Amino acid sequence: MPDMRFAPPNPLRIADRASGLNAVSVRGYNERLVLSLLLQSKDITRLEIGARTGLSAQTVSVIVRSLEQEGLIAKGEAQRGRVGPPTVPISLNPEGAYSVGISVGHRQVEVVLVDFVGSIRSRTVLPFSTAAQDTNHPQFMSAVAKAIANLPQHLHSRIAGIGLALPGDEAELELTPKAARERFDALQEEVEREIGYPVYVQNDITAAAGGESMFGVAKHLSDYLFFYLGARLHSRLVLNHQIYNTTAAVSFDVGILRLEEEIRKKGNSPSELWERGADWPSFGDAEIAWQRDLLEQMKSSIAALKPFVPVASVVLSSYAPQAVCKAICRELEQAMPGTTAIAGNIERSPKAVGAASLPFSSRFMVE
Amino acid sequence: MRSVLCYGDSNTHGQIPGGTPLERYGPAERWPGVMARELGPGWHVIEEGLSGRTTVRDDPIEGAHKNGRTYLRPCLQSHAVLDLVIIMLGTNDLKARFNQPASEVAMAMGCLVYDIKELKPGPGGSVPEIMIVSPPPMLDDIKEWRSIFASAPEKSRQLALEFEIIADSLEVHFFDAGSVVTCDPLDGFHINGRAHALLGSALAREVEAIGWPDEK
Repeated sequence: MPDMRFAPPNPLRIADRASGLNAVSVRGYNERLVLSLLLQSKDITRLEIGARTGLSAQTVSVIVRSLEQEGLIAKGEAQRGRVGPPTVPISLNPEGAYSVGISVGHRQVEVVLVDFVGSIRSRTVLPFSTAAQDTNHPQFMSAVAKAIANLPQHLHSRIAGIGLALPGDEAELELTPKAARERFDALQEEVEREIGYPVYVQNDITAAAGGESMFGVAKHLSDYLFFYLGARLHSRLVLNHQIYNTTAAVSFDVGILRLEEEIRKKGNSPSELWERGADWPSFGDAEIAWQRDLLEQMKSSIAALKPFVPVASVVLSSYAPQAVCKAICRELEQAMPGTTAIAGNIERSPKAVGAASLPFSSRFMVE
Repeated sequence: MRSVLCYGDSNTHGQIPGGTPLERYGPAERWPGVMARELGPGWHVIEEGLSGRTTVRDDPIEGAHKNGRTYLRPCLQSHAVLDLVIIMLGTNDLKARFNQPASEVAMAMGCLVYDIKELKPGPGGSVPEIMIVSPPPMLDDIKEWRSIFASAPEKSRQLALEFEIIADSLEVHFFDAGSVVTCDPLDGFHINGRAHALLGSALAREVEAIGWPDEK
């Protein structure tokens, strides 16, 4: 029986020092554990990584070195404290990995390219044609291809994949053009075939919650109730960083579609409502009435949850202007003392950015 | 107080390039001395550098005492308790008399790691932190040493990768000395005073980066 200690070493981690990302199968659990931690916190030391993962200093050292050589993380400047040895903070390298996120709504399709820390590098919005036969397919594919082409060629090997956020809510699907559902179902395969990167699919609301968890205000929250204000109001429960995803989730007609109706009822034009990144003008009584109903619904959702899970934090994500979300959060906090309500800070394209977080979580994080 | 053992060859001994084993940089100039200064009073740095030391091989010419493996155990026990063991060896294994490829030298480094893990000279009988340091590659011109070290310079350039593979596979710390210093042209395989200073401070940073919880 040979002494297995002296079998050939297993150079898996460093066998391939090419510039791209390592193959998925190579990334072990411990490496994912370290990356998960780094996706959550900036500037942590090897000592902290060890303390928070339970890994030994030597294991952390090996993993950090290999991630550094792969270009996924970067060491900061040594910090000299008043006591103790200087510490070297470690963070993700923003240029270490990229991801494309696609969200398909009933009015438009959004395509974003984000870097490893969630900064949007490019963004395209396409109208979703309402004519049933008309498909925006070629235009759509070229938008995805363009998002990738905008990235310098030498960084293409750093694209972790493409995330696709698809609506699953029955009421929202009703709003989409006829046969859109079938088109959605075929998208994953089509994008994979035509663009050539792995495609990760998720429900759009769950993806948006994932985006806030990975890049946004929910980064440090382990338990919270997530609201997404779109055409309708959606919610997801997040416990211990896990988003509970279910096809049985219901949505409420107190969203932006409802505000649109209210504005029309008053004889005004709601055209600014669906624009991304633009501030809303004051819609007067219509907005007040809508906000009241929206708040009522949010309050009742929180109250219904309370006997089972005492969630103290609420995140409200939307493409609506952040000022609007912040005002709603303020009202909610006033109405429900003890609740912290935070407006999401992934503005304009929370679903698409959430979609872009999918390849990162699949390839770099622990389940 | 933490203790670190610096286990190496002539480049840890502080042999002056182009000189003999008796011509040696002073304690404060040698890399363990520099590292001690950089680490500060919380660390006790132990120097164990022997000219001609190999990883695991009795030297048929210079003598069996050059074998780094046989001396490692008594050395560890003499200096226990150790928080960290830094091993920088490998150059002497490339002498023509041993006829070894770089990968075999790395395997031998692995042996030393296993021996430390077995002996457990760390606090409370634990395995101490272990850091493998690959020596700086030899220069092509090794003067009158070229027959003793026939074909060694090329192999010495492969040591860093081979050592890193073994360090990864055994999960120990690794540092490539060649990333901060080069050998002195006077003999092509010893490091000069300036290199000792650079290596000492680079290793101090590596030691700190390991992260040391406050001592109880």
